Formats: sequence, C-alpha cells, structure tokens
Amino acid sequence: MNSSLYQQVTDLIFEEAEYLDQKKWSDWLSLYLESCIFWAPAWINEHTHTTHPDEELNLLYLKGKQHLIDRVFRIETGDSFASLPMDRTAHLISNIRITGSQGKQHFVNANWLVHSYGIRDSLTRGGSYQFIFEETPEGLKILQKKIVMINDKLVGPIDIFHL
Amino acid sequence: MSTSNYDHLIKDSDQDFFVDRSIYTDEQIFQKEIQTIFESTWNFIAHESQISQAGDYFSTYIGHQPVFIVKKADGSVKGFLNACSHRGSTLVPFESGNAKAFRCRFHGWTFNADGKCLVVKNQDTGAYLNSNIADQSALTPIPKLAIYRGFIFGSLSPNVPELSDWLKGTAAWIDCLVDQSPSGLEIIKGQSTYRLYGNWKLQAENGVDGYHVSTVHRVFANTISNREAKLSLTGLKETEAGRITGQVQSGSYGFGHGHMGIWTERSKPTAHPIWQEKERLEAQFSKSQVHWMLYRTRNLYLFPNVFIMDNPSTQIRTMRPLSANVCDVTVRCIAPVGESKEARAARIRKFEDFYLTSGMATSDDLAALESVHEGSKARNSKWNHFARGASETLQGYEGEEFPLAGPPPEVTTKNWDHESIYKGFYREWKRHMTQESQQ
Repeated sequence: MNSSLYQQVTDLIFEEAEYLDQKKWSDWLSLYLESCIFWAPAWINEHTHTTHPDEELNLLYLKGKQHLIDRVFRIETGDSFASLPMDRTAHLISNIRITGSQGKQHFVNANWLVHSYGIRDSLTRGGSYQFIFEETPEGLKILQKKIVMINDKLVGPIDIFHL
Repeated sequence: MSTSNYDHLIKDSDQDFFVDRSIYTDEQIFQKEIQTIFESTWNFIAHESQISQAGDYFSTYIGHQPVFIVKKADGSVKGFLNACSHRGSTLVPFESGNAKAFRCRFHGWTFNADGKCLVVKNQDTGAYLNSNIADQSALTPIPKLAIYRGFIFGSLSPNVPELSDWLKGTAAWIDCLVDQSPSGLEIIKGQSTYRLYGNWKLQAENGVDGYHVSTVHRVFANTISNREAKLSLTGLKETEAGRITGQVQSGSYGFGHGHMGIWTERSKPTAHPIWQEKERLEAQFSKSQVHWMLYRTRNLYLFPNVFIMDNPSTQIRTMRPLSANVCDVTVRCIAPVGESKEARAARIRKFEDFYLTSGMATSDDLAALESVHEGSKARNSKWNHFARGASETLQGYEGEEFPLAGPPPEVTTKNWDHESIYKGFYREWKRHMTQESQQ
C-alpha cells in the first residue's frame, strides 16, 4: 500500500465533502477536471442499477465540468424553488479503498452517508462512491465521481450537495 | 362526507370557479376518492414493453389495492389482485420479473398466468371438506383490462365505459407519440420514484399547468441558456428555453372525463430527438399529425393517475396516492423503438435535465407543490381560484389550425397558462365523488 497516495486520496475525498457541506461552490468546482463525469445511476429494479448512461436513465449524468457549473449557477440565481431554503448537510465517508491504478489514474471506492436537515426535517441518504482520481501538477483531481444511492424512493429534491 | 353534494367545496358558476383547499388535505375526502375514483375507473397500469416476454409480470397498485399483470405465452395480458387466494400474501414479491408460475412464498400455493390454482400444498393431508379446493381458489382478476396502442389500463370496477370511449380525444394525442416509430414505443431502463408530501391533485394540476412554467422554471431556462452559450451547443444537444419563457404559441384542451392537455409550439424543433425522422413522418402522416409530432410539445393528463408527455423528452409519469398528504410519483422515459443512438442519448440527457427530483425542474415543482400543500392548511384562506381564460374559452377544435382525428375536445384555450381545463377536471372529480358507490 502506497500510504502517501492513500493520504492524498482521503484528503481529496474529505476536502470535497467539506466544500459541499459548507456550500463553497468555486472551491468544489476546482477539484474537478474539465472532462469530469458526475454520475448517479437510476435503479432498474430492486437489485440492479443502470450501467449504460447513453442507453439507460440516470438520476444524474453530468458529463463535462460545465454541467457541474450549471448546478451551481442554478443554486446561485436564488430563483430555484427547491434550493431556498437550502438543506444543511453533513457528509460522512468511510470504507475508503484504492482498488487499482492505471498510469496517472487511481480508482477509489468508498461508502457515504449524508445527513441532511431542512424543511423536511432530518433525512439520511446513503450509498457508495466509485471515484477516478487523476494526478495533475496541482495534485490529485476528480475525473469521475459515480454515486450509487441505495435509496430508490426519493424524498425531497436531490442536488449535488446531497450526494 | 358521504351525503355531501360537494357544492360547498366547489363553487362552479358562470362567473367564477373556486375550489376549497380542504380537498387537498381532508383524509375523509381522500378515502372516498380512493373508493369512488381510483378503485372505480380506468387506471393506467403499465406500457406493454414492460412485459414484453411470456411470463413477464409487473406489479403496482390501483387505488390502495395491490395488483399485477402478466404476459401469457399467446401474447395476451392478464391481470389479478396481488393477493394469494388462500391467506392473502402478495404473490409477486418484486415490481417486475419473469415467472413460469406464481408460487406463494407463505404456504406454497401455486397459480398459473390464468390465475388458476395449480397446487394446494399437501392437499391430500389437508382434511378439506371440499375436494375441489384448488378449483375454487383462482386468483381474483382485475375485472376490466384493456390496451390502447401499448398502454395497458385496468379498472377494479366492471362498470366502466369501453377504454376507447373513456379516452375520448386523448387517443389522438397518444397516437402522435406511438406513431413516431413504426415499431412502437419502449420504456427505457431505469426509473425514479419520488414521494410528494402533498395531495395527488396538486400533481395532477401541475403536469398541465402552463402558468407556473415561466416562474418556477425560469431558472431552468436561464441555466440551460447559459450552458448553451458557454458550450455553443447545436442540433439535438440544444434545449428549448423559448418554450419556458413564453416565446411560442400555446394552448390547452379539456378532453372530457377529466382528461386535460396543454401544448406549445416547439421553440427549436430541430432539438427534438424525433427531428431525425422528419421525412418519414411527413411521408406517412397527415399535415396535422406531423405538425403535432414535430412542431408541438404535449403534456397529457389521463384521469386519474397518469401523464404522457412529449416535450423536450418523452415521459410516463404515474401517481400512487397514499393519503391526503402523500403521493408517490414514478417517472419513466418512453422512447420510439429503433431511434438512433444519438437521438436516444439526447432524449435521456434532456429527461435527466428536467424530469427528475435530482434534475433541475421537477425538483423545483416538488418544492412548489409541497409549499402549496402546506399553504392549503391555512383554513382561514381556503379558496383556490381557477379564473384564467374564462372570457376566452372556446369549444371543440374552434380556432385550431391542426385539428386531429377523433372526438374533439370539449374545451379549448389559446394559451397554455389559462385555467379553464381544471373546471372539467374538478367536475369529473365531483361526478365520481357524488355517484353511488359501485362496490
């Protein structure tokens, strides 16, 4: 195990979580590469989620950083009914494991719980992450964040900071 | 409430139309709705592509009652109450799947796709008084089951009109979707269910409410306009912000039987996935049909539980009311069979942008409807006003440049933010609520 890589990986995961929870949107966006994918599949049935984003439905399939910027743009307009008031969130992430590396890319799995509080009171959603991180001159950046949410009956709007 | 004529809840005069908001929050009214509306008339169950192979089943609810449908080897569709005839366990444990026979997980009784009981476990040692126990233990069928061009409907009451009569002029709107592919439509894999903490009628109103679009979805139009400018998107990757900001012609139809529809001209028809089929459609269908398929968006509500939409993407949205205050809503993307990979991907992206509570528009609708439901508890301010369009309401296809075949609509307005169509919805609602129970 390369402990310094593991340290960098966990630092990046926790950094992202902190920016999302504190709604530091430009800091959050700075963690993503231009060609990033932010992907939450939908469920096909009780046991299987979708795997082919161009042929099957996803909860979110944001390909390219502009689509992440869209979500921030929408929140910051102050015009989104779902985003005012905005839920407070706390990300808890564990079971972090580097599952492989290929060149400058590192594949990382983790589990997540996001506790959310807002006009619908307390809600806790959870699932797993599959990240692809890439080494850059500015350190590790996020190439892909795949989020499998185990809840398949959704209560309240789901935005990027709930995942 | 059983003796009520509901006149005190719906003020319906030549001058005005008011609805008491307690109809969104009152549990007694809700229970009567389940009985006299959902469990007494046609409900949409599934699209036939969801049970395409012999043995495929799909389970859902009509009103409060669990049901399932199954495709037989001969291609026909059967439907039953999802309850074992022995002791009531649900027979079908999953929402969908494939089964050669339905074996109850409780005591092992087994049924075929005709509902016939094939096996009573240990029948020989059962000491039954009646040796015909299996023959007399068939599953209870859904009394009426019918399919219109792939859309499967069921009714728990046998006393309903024929499905085609029930659908009235909406059939032509369904045709405009089905005819987009010579091979019909299919549900794309993956779905999303969200729980609305609000009354089902708020969802029913919202899906055909043109009036909220330029406020609630202004932020969607601004966001995607910003994206388009940044990325210089063209063709199918463009979206249709002009529809939202009111730059196009629009209108609404009250079809009768509580069915409602709104339409707009497409602000950018070349952005719609079906645009690739333009030449084929023009060769095959009438000028009016082609106009509705290529150049107009349509939101269709079929009383009481389903929307069929063809706007930036294509959608089936079903409602399952659980109480006056809670309604589960499931959204699925439906698409022409055999469309190009490019068109399919564009259709899915547009769907995800708009139609999910993880997207950038349905999420805002959800928040808006929950807000309306909360406001409906303000009993000292109890009247909902449906007045827009009253002085410009037309009849039939009056003023319509592109009339479709079949029965004409009952009510027409030339602006999708007019509210005249809700009168037909609430008159149908009241008709059901005041008729004698059929159970």
